[in-house]
Amino acid sequence: MNIVEVNNITKKYNLNQMTEPVSLRNGVKSLFKKKEKAKDYYALNDVSFSIQKGDKLGIIGNNGAGKSTLLKILSRITNPTAGNIQVKGKVASLLEVGTGFHPELSGRDNIYLNGAILGMSKREITAQFDEIVEFAGPQIANFLDTPVKRYSSGMYVRLGFAISAHLNPEILIVDEVLAVGDADFQKKSLGKMKEVAANDKTILFVSHNLTAVSNLCNKTLHLERGKVKQMGETAQVLKNYMSEVQSKKMLYTSDTFAAGLGNELIRLKYAEIIPQLAPGLDYWTVNDAFRLKFEFWNTLNDVELNVSIHLYAITGECIFNIGNKAQKFNEGIVSTQVEIPGNFLNDGSYFLSIMVVKNSSIVLVNFDELFEFEIADYREDTTWYGKWPGYVRPNFPILMKQETSEL
Amino acid sequence: MNLYSKLFSEIVKERELLYILAKRDISIRYKQTYLGIIWAIIRPVLTMLVFLFAFKNVAKISDISGFPIQLIIFSGVLFWNLFANTFQAVSNSILANHNLVSKVYFPRLIIAFSSIAVSLFDFLIGLVVYFGLSISLIHTIPATILLIPVAVLLILLFSIGLGLIFCSFSIKYRDFLQMIPLIVQYGFFVSPIVYTANSLQISSWFNVYAFINPLVGLVEYARTLLIPGYVLSSWDFVLLSISCSLLIFFTGIFIFTKKESSFVDYL
Repeated sequence: MNIVEVNNITKKYNLNQMTEPVSLRNGVKSLFKKKEKAKDYYALNDVSFSIQKGDKLGIIGNNGAGKSTLLKILSRITNPTAGNIQVKGKVASLLEVGTGFHPELSGRDNIYLNGAILGMSKREITAQFDEIVEFAGPQIANFLDTPVKRYSSGMYVRLGFAISAHLNPEILIVDEVLAVGDADFQKKSLGKMKEVAANDKTILFVSHNLTAVSNLCNKTLHLERGKVKQMGETAQVLKNYMSEVQSKKMLYTSDTFAAGLGNELIRLKYAEIIPQLAPGLDYWTVNDAFRLKFEFWNTLNDVELNVSIHLYAITGECIFNIGNKAQKFNEGIVSTQVEIPGNFLNDGSYFLSIMVVKNSSIVLVNFDELFEFEIADYREDTTWYGKWPGYVRPNFPILMKQETSEL
Repeated sequence: MNLYSKLFSEIVKERELLYILAKRDISIRYKQTYLGIIWAIIRPVLTMLVFLFAFKNVAKISDISGFPIQLIIFSGVLFWNLFANTFQAVSNSILANHNLVSKVYFPRLIIAFSSIAVSLFDFLIGLVVYFGLSISLIHTIPATILLIPVAVLLILLFSIGLGLIFCSFSIKYRDFLQMIPLIVQYGFFVSPIVYTANSLQISSWFNVYAFINPLVGLVEYARTLLIPGYVLSSWDFVLLSISCSLLIFFTGIFIFTKKESSFVDYL
């Protein structure tokens, strides 16, 4: 029996509306103006799939693939522009931990508030109240009557997850943001998720973390730019996904000066990112070092040049900016290379920009967002699959030893 | 009618959520204030004192249509605040709860309806103050106060309806948010709050006006319940106001439910 059936859903956003501010003036203007060709953006484009009772479906794809939009439509938060969905059974969607928590209210009040928002009845909450508090941990139990604004962020998240973990829907829609908290709590949450997964429940789970998907889900849906790229058994889909991510060329070349990126002073001839993959793995993980090589045409004689490389997280924060000391160069081709070590960047999507600078102060050219690449998570012998926090993930040695045997 | 009965049953189904959201709003309303709910008393009393000063000491008026100025003004302000607070709360309800709207689904009307709790709570406190005022000035509280829930309901229907209309449009066009304070500011003076319909020269346009601004009829009707001996020159304009309120209420619900599924795209 198909418990969730998605038929040809499309979600269209009007790009004009997203760039121009929505205002009454623009609204009135568009009444009179000839309909200009609307620039549409398809967050989802003709997506169809179905899952059966008891299936655990992992949903993967790059940023902007439409994962969140799909979750929102399945949770009825927004309607599709076209197509329809059929869901049989009680749905609970967890797109966020502690939805609707009010900072001024106590932990106790927030359990009832959040539970009600997530669709639990008062009686269900009361029946499970002690269990929820116990799951959240002893720290919460001691501060049940304190406003949650006094909670540490860890306590806040633990309380939020504890409530979510005690929902009892037939279909559970989970966003990866739920993988939160410290390692210990993570283990507990994942254990709870597995417990839920073990019984008859249907789960839809969005994640960037392929390890978690392969451990929790029997089926996987791969979205790409709003379309279903593939859907099927998890192992097969993940294998195809990975090999595809890696075959994407992180290479730029230009045959002639005139065609190169840049301006009349500096033009890019070649640039490439070369990850040094571990033997036996065909995708780039957090362990792997990578080399950035590039060459550019320089039209200036007797000039002091250096380069400046920026790496940005997908969310826009600059992870690092590295530069070198200026050197004298003459007209011709200048080549550059830099190696970034493994066990340094965390998993995620990144943008890389390159600047060429004159006299250490004047930016001659900026190759902004030249490459976008993705680094996958990699863990061995772990029971914890939550998102590893932080932008960097260095492997600094931590020394630990037993000092004495007495107490 | 099908739409309305479906909505009604949905709301009944989610009554626990409605109740808990209302409780949340009331319990955080006066959190971290020293005076607490006394603030609910201070505001209407201050408004009354200001006008009392203007009327008695500046304009040298000793009564309005033969009734104590305090009773006329306080009864007007009480119902005006009920309207203004409800209208503003409902208009802002979706934007104020955008974190819920964008993360969880439940009928959006629940949010709008739960937002009236605070204004109703403040109204009840104000009503108690009015009783005190009534006893001290005219030594009585009329039995007609038993009908006050009817007046409250009518004013709520109008305020919620108007609020839903503004709420629906303001999510896409924030211009509507700018109009709300203007309506609240000037509406006070174009409605019989610090004066009475009887003190105006009633002519043919008045019925039309009571239809356009239903607070005219609703506030005057409420006064007949609060002030013993307060009679209206005619009931026609009250009925017109009531019919407009109902019209606005059902229109508001209709527009809101038509637009609610697109709210999240504009938040």
